[in-house]
Amino acid sequence: MEEKYFEISAENLKKFVESIIADNFEVIAPTDKDGDTFYGKISRFEEANLDILLPKMSYKEYILPKTETLLEYSFSGVDTDIKDGLEAVAGANEKRVIFGGRPCDAGAGPIMEKVFNWDYKDEFFNERFKNLTIVSIACEKPDNYCFCTEMQLSPESSYGSDILLKKAGDKYFAVVTSEKGLNLINPYMNLFKETTKAQVPGDKDWKKLFEIERTKNFLDKNFEHNYFQDRFLSCIGCGVCTYTCPTCHCFDIQDEGNLKEGRRIRNWDSCQFGIFTLHTSGHNPRVTQGDRYRQRLMHKFKIYSEKFDKYLCVGCGRCSRNCPEDIDIKEVAKDLADMA
Amino acid sequence: MANTKIDEKLQKIAKDLLESGEVSLIIGYAKGSNPQRMRPVFITKAEEAGKLSFSHYAVQDLAVFLKKPEVKKFGKIGIVVKGCDEKAVNALIQEYQISRDNIKIIGIECNGVIRQNLADKGETGVSESTVYDKCLICEEHIPVLYDFLIESEEPKLALSGNVKPYYGIEKLESMSAEEKNAFWAKEFDKCIKCYACRQACPLCYCSRCIVEKNMPQWIDTNSEETGNAQWNLIRAYHLSGRCIGCGECERACPVNIPLMLINEKMAKDVYNLFGYKSGLDINAKPVFGVFSESDFNDFIK
Repeated sequence: MEEKYFEISAENLKKFVESIIADNFEVIAPTDKDGDTFYGKISRFEEANLDILLPKMSYKEYILPKTETLLEYSFSGVDTDIKDGLEAVAGANEKRVIFGGRPCDAGAGPIMEKVFNWDYKDEFFNERFKNLTIVSIACEKPDNYCFCTEMQLSPESSYGSDILLKKAGDKYFAVVTSEKGLNLINPYMNLFKETTKAQVPGDKDWKKLFEIERTKNFLDKNFEHNYFQDRFLSCIGCGVCTYTCPTCHCFDIQDEGNLKEGRRIRNWDSCQFGIFTLHTSGHNPRVTQGDRYRQRLMHKFKIYSEKFDKYLCVGCGRCSRNCPEDIDIKEVAKDLADMA
Repeated sequence: MANTKIDEKLQKIAKDLLESGEVSLIIGYAKGSNPQRMRPVFITKAEEAGKLSFSHYAVQDLAVFLKKPEVKKFGKIGIVVKGCDEKAVNALIQEYQISRDNIKIIGIECNGVIRQNLADKGETGVSESTVYDKCLICEEHIPVLYDFLIESEEPKLALSGNVKPYYGIEKLESMSAEEKNAFWAKEFDKCIKCYACRQACPLCYCSRCIVEKNMPQWIDTNSEETGNAQWNLIRAYHLSGRCIGCGECERACPVNIPLMLINEKMAKDVYNLFGYKSGLDINAKPVFGVFSESDFNDFIK
């Protein structure tokens, strides 16, 4: 769809959000909880914290739940009954809106979509992803852990958002990029005023600290470099980087149940765990935490881009902010670029 | 930032230890990714000792690295510890995970560390409302065991008594079983099974955790009600009588589950029932490793 542009006052934006809540949309927004800010369901506009840069976790769980039932089985006598987990997912997210997320989080969706549709089409992912409507707000002040600009996005990128809101004084400009976005605002068009692209303030000239291509160049040639073992001696393998990451998508398929009934599920998994690559033979190709963190860097900045033409990182900086041992991936990516 | 006197003392001790060959690795703190953060640093050469530093942003319990195979390889290790972290070293010695002969303890007198989420928002002052609850109940501002001690030059943490540490435990103890269940069901619902609590724990050193054993599958793998409750409960039991209260599990938890309410409650019960506190004496037998005739037995009906 060709982009459409609208203006909406701050007051009307509030009315818009309350209207969609009243019309039974589940609105997921950054909201204060447990001493931090997380994405969560809001029942009033005021519950959204739109001043925070980024919630602690991404909203990945709405596209790829932490545990998803793929199928259920039960036996009675000689009969086996199998229920496809997809039935429960049909229509999921049709009435769900992510409101007030950031361009980095929005960018993660279409990047992940590539691997979920590469050879096998993952219907669970697709069903959730195609229905979820994403209304993001452009960032005005990224912090020192942010590096979306280096990751080919920007604090004002509309990539992956159905609607991107850009604040301008006491009003917002809404860049609508998809039918899904247009359908969301259509019933409330009295709150919006259509405008032209020329009226929407242009993006600022966001500066890059390093070139990610140089990071990739280093990774291309230095698999055995000492940097990985030395720098990541401080990694405790907690996996917080991968679990809070909007693009990390590894999962583990497990069966749970007994002789009568059970289910097949998939759970989030992490390349930072020693057991992730442990072979049945006892051999583990990734012996040290240095090997494992290197894998994360390789997957994000080299392997994925070679296969899917996109880096598997949106530069949100969550892995750095949340790392208990203060490993800063932006600093690491820049180190590697500097060494290339 | 200029070196403080504490930094200078720390660097001198580390340099001497490395030069004399008494240790081949020093685990300490260095400046972090922003001025309000510190990070672990691993020093193997005397000329790099200048990286070492300490401040009230030194939140990490460095004893966690003593369980790491990559670190164990260094053999004789020097470690910078606050009083709380040092108790983890003691517990590891008690449980035969490390030998006292292979470790040089560089203890630092600590008056409290600032909660990381507050420091990240710009908090710079040490006060009863900015430090962790563990600092408010700390009885080991000076580590109980050390080879070197660096005394603090800062004033002691002033306690007005207005901030109740681990207040949640009192609240939980006054609840009915149903209310407690509801409280924890809500908390465990947040769990994403990343096991950061385990990884950040200096005493969770099993080379194969029970959740990784699947013949049989002891703990459900899902991160829903059953799996999350099983995981968090088994961890509570495995740490009762052992947890030294460094709070790293709670700090690492990306979804803010108040794990220290569990650990502190277990520690409190163990103290009340057995008069035992973990990590205070390297010669003491771990409480669940011994039987004493004076152990209570009124649960046998």
